[in-house]
Amino acid sequence: MDFEELLKLIKEELIRVLGESYAEYKEEAKEDIDAFLESSKVKLERWTNLLVSTELTVKDYEWLVKSQKDILVLEALYAAGASKRRLGHLKNKIIKTVVETVIRVVL
Amino acid sequence: MTFLVISCQSLKTAVYDQYSYQQAISLKVESDAIIDHATTPFRDHINVITGLRMDLKKLVEYEKNKPNNSISYAMLQLLENEDRNLLGGFLKRWEEEQQLSEAFTKEAKAQIMEAFDLIIKYEAEKNKTNETNILNFLEK
Repeated sequence: MDFEELLKLIKEELIRVLGESYAEYKEEAKEDIDAFLESSKVKLERWTNLLVSTELTVKDYEWLVKSQKDILVLEALYAAGASKRRLGHLKNKIIKTVVETVIRVVL
Repeated sequence: MTFLVISCQSLKTAVYDQYSYQQAISLKVESDAIIDHATTPFRDHINVITGLRMDLKKLVEYEKNKPNNSISYAMLQLLENEDRNLLGGFLKRWEEEQQLSEAFTKEAKAQIMEAFDLIIKYEAEKNKTNETNILNFLEK
């Protein structure tokens, strides 16, 4: 499996999905997508390989991707302060799209 | 004037707290050891897990009541929350499924340890902020 191709696909899918729902936050959404994918790239690749080799179940995979979102929230809290950033729906949408795209492509 | 007072208030950060720092490190070490057992039945470790949950709850409650401490409190709440995907969520899943796979346990543990590191680092940074403030004050 070409992981770079998968990441590209996830990004395209995220831009498509978020572009529809979050048109008013276009720039912010792009920043969130880039930050999520960049800091998560190595982990996503490892987890995707473990999913393909069936060492991780879909439920495990989903749990781990969500835990990555929580780490990013902690990083945001650390860096910017709790009240300074919008942390909710946008990131949930990113997680859902990542998991759905990976499951569709690799399983 | 009211606006100015509110703005200054929102910029305040709790001072470095040696107790919080030590407790966070202690919880990290404790969690590290307990998570390694998640490949074996939850019921075999119920006492230590209950102890860990209680220690975490105590620290969250301690942080909640410190003034100007919303960030540390939010970080610990996230770690503790059983509906999220860090320590609290991991323990809940272990309890529900009784036993977790080796691959999942290893990957989840790395995530939880990373979360602890951020919390510990944030507390330690408060020390540096205080130090800088004192040095700035002395240099004036």
